[in-house]
Amino acid sequence: MTTTGIHTPTARRSAATAQRRPRRERQGAAWVFLSPWVLGATVLTLLPMAVSLYLSFTDYDLFNPPHWVGLRNYVQMFTEDPRYWRSVLTTLTYVVVAVPLQLALALVVALALKGMKRGKGFYRSAFYAPSLLGASMSVALVWRAVFNDGGTVDHLLGTGGWADKPGWALLAVALLTVWQFGAPMVIFLAGLQQIPAELYEAASVDGAGKWRQFVSVTVPMLSPVLFFNLVLQTIQAFQVFTPAFAISAGKGGPADSTLVYTLYLYDRGFVASHMGYASAMAWVLLLAIGAVTAVLFRTSRTWVFYASEGER
Amino acid sequence: MPGHRTKRFCVTAAALALCAMPAGCGGSGESAGGGRIVLRYTWWGNPDRAERTEKAVALFEQRHPNVRVQTSFSGYDAYKQKLATQAAGGDAPDVMQLDYRQIDQYASGGVLLDLARQQSVLHTAGIDAGLLATGRVHGAQYAVPQGRGTETVAYDVQGWRRSGVPLPGRAWTWEQWADAMRALAQKTGKPGGTDPGQSEDAFEVWLRGRGKSLYTDDRKLGFTAADLTRWWTFTDRLRREGAVSPAEQTTQLDGSVENTPLGRGKATSDANWDAPASGFGALVKGGVALAPMPSGADGTPGQYFKPSMFLGTAAHTGHPAQAAQLVDFLVNDPDVARILGATRGIPVNEAVRREIGPLLTGFDKTIADYQSSLEGTLKDPPQAPPSGDNALQTTFQRDYDQVSYERMSPRKAAANYVTEAKAELRS
Repeated sequence: MTTTGIHTPTARRSAATAQRRPRRERQGAAWVFLSPWVLGATVLTLLPMAVSLYLSFTDYDLFNPPHWVGLRNYVQMFTEDPRYWRSVLTTLTYVVVAVPLQLALALVVALALKGMKRGKGFYRSAFYAPSLLGASMSVALVWRAVFNDGGTVDHLLGTGGWADKPGWALLAVALLTVWQFGAPMVIFLAGLQQIPAELYEAASVDGAGKWRQFVSVTVPMLSPVLFFNLVLQTIQAFQVFTPAFAISAGKGGPADSTLVYTLYLYDRGFVASHMGYASAMAWVLLLAIGAVTAVLFRTSRTWVFYASEGER
Repeated sequence: MPGHRTKRFCVTAAALALCAMPAGCGGSGESAGGGRIVLRYTWWGNPDRAERTEKAVALFEQRHPNVRVQTSFSGYDAYKQKLATQAAGGDAPDVMQLDYRQIDQYASGGVLLDLARQQSVLHTAGIDAGLLATGRVHGAQYAVPQGRGTETVAYDVQGWRRSGVPLPGRAWTWEQWADAMRALAQKTGKPGGTDPGQSEDAFEVWLRGRGKSLYTDDRKLGFTAADLTRWWTFTDRLRREGAVSPAEQTTQLDGSVENTPLGRGKATSDANWDAPASGFGALVKGGVALAPMPSGADGTPGQYFKPSMFLGTAAHTGHPAQAAQLVDFLVNDPDVARILGATRGIPVNEAVRREIGPLLTGFDKTIADYQSSLEGTLKDPPQAPPSGDNALQTTFQRDYDQVSYERMSPRKAAANYVTEAKAELRS
């Protein structure tokens, strides 16, 4: 235990007493302080997870006791349920469209804000606000009204309501996410401010233009932050639910075009009362997100540059 | 038996996990301080229904000073999910409002009490026998219908009259209805009505008009893919002709009258249940009138008097007699009827119906008149739909979406639906 930085006599004395106490007693105290968290994590997270894993091997309609069916839910999911694959495809499409768009927009705005002399705080808050509001159902509902048949977008572009066209509805969902670029933007902004100004000076002395500076200085220096944002937003995108739910009134329509994975999971569990099947879907999603994250980490070795590596 | 205990524990734990909100898992109806019995009574509805229900409950408490009734309500979808979680956790409210589609599942899941055993306090003699039978599953009376509704073609009177197309009479066939839709579209430049292809309810009416039914008595599918193909081909053709609403309009239907083409002023009529049709009053300037649903080619009526909602009591209630008393009070008491009016549909008890009939005004009266015009002409309602039906209603809409957006032929979509329905009814 280190007491560096604590200089009041009281603190020093209590630290000394603590050192004299047997190790086990100190552990006991630690457990007492940890207990609310441990209790919460066990009762609210670990136990339900274990139950959900068990349920995924059963047939459970909420009313009758779960009935063990082995791997049947998983087999049915992969071989007999076209709508399941439809939801997988929809979610992948969504991730591939929404995440890059969102990160690109976040980066562009962060770059613009970085160069600003005045009003930075205001704009930063203004751009961040949608992220705070975005999780709410009300915004999603407004979004639906905007993209409706007869809504604002329809009036401006005469497209006849994106939310009601199977080819466009998913894009409307993606745009809602893209619009909430505040969180990655703030992180980008922090990352950009960490890049030493000397690097840009050196680059410009070497005759590098703005674009060259961006590609050769900003991007590599920012790559850890970019990676962080990419992983975080990808994980979030796989779990998209609220906007798809709101735009399609919970049905995943029109014609299943916004039937994302979690929405179908919800449908199976709470509408069709197949809790076992829904649990199995949840576990497959967990594993899939784990796998995708692992792949991202693997590829990161080739493109993420940590400043400390250069000093080695 | 340890194995059994573990299972029970798991179910409880899952229910707890699913509850998420602590409010969802309140205490059960045990006796409270002062020796008063506490009953929990939950229902779905709107503020208007809430106000009247509170008054009715206050009257009940006044007459039974030893009983206190705790009420709670929410919108239908939220109610459905909350009740399912409560029931799964063995914590169903003592008295609960139920939908036709919930009864089979709740009854076979052991959530409901057989009310026939409470005959001394709960009287059912005043209720139409056919209607009462809808609350029966496997021979036991698990629920008592509280209100009566039926389907209708609600239409914009002024708009229809102005088009010059003859107003709907007291009976018409599906072909005559289709011709009227075409004529309206031609004269008004907008679809005659909502595309009924997405509605399982409308399909049922059409099917019954042909002498078939959605489900057989032994809870299997009562129709074939060929039947559904014929229905969807019929509606799809009307949609292509512009006689009924386009896919973009149809897909926005969510059960509220505001989102129907008629409610948006984009069509002249809408097939709907009669009670919610009152909502059109505020949306359609020229006023709304009700016509019967189209019948089969030989005049066989497809629509029926459906219980708009039921009351049931929990199997594990600590006070079965008092719970049954409350049900009896809500269904049979003329004083309650005067308070509740037609907020839960037209009352099922004939004496009560006569009692409040003259007191009804506005759209309540329109509905009552419409229903009495059908009295004696309709066939008995089917028994409560089997458990899987709850999910199939949504599947029906989704599969028809594929047809109306021209991504699938009616034949292919119908085959899909029948496959899924069979799987759903098996499980």
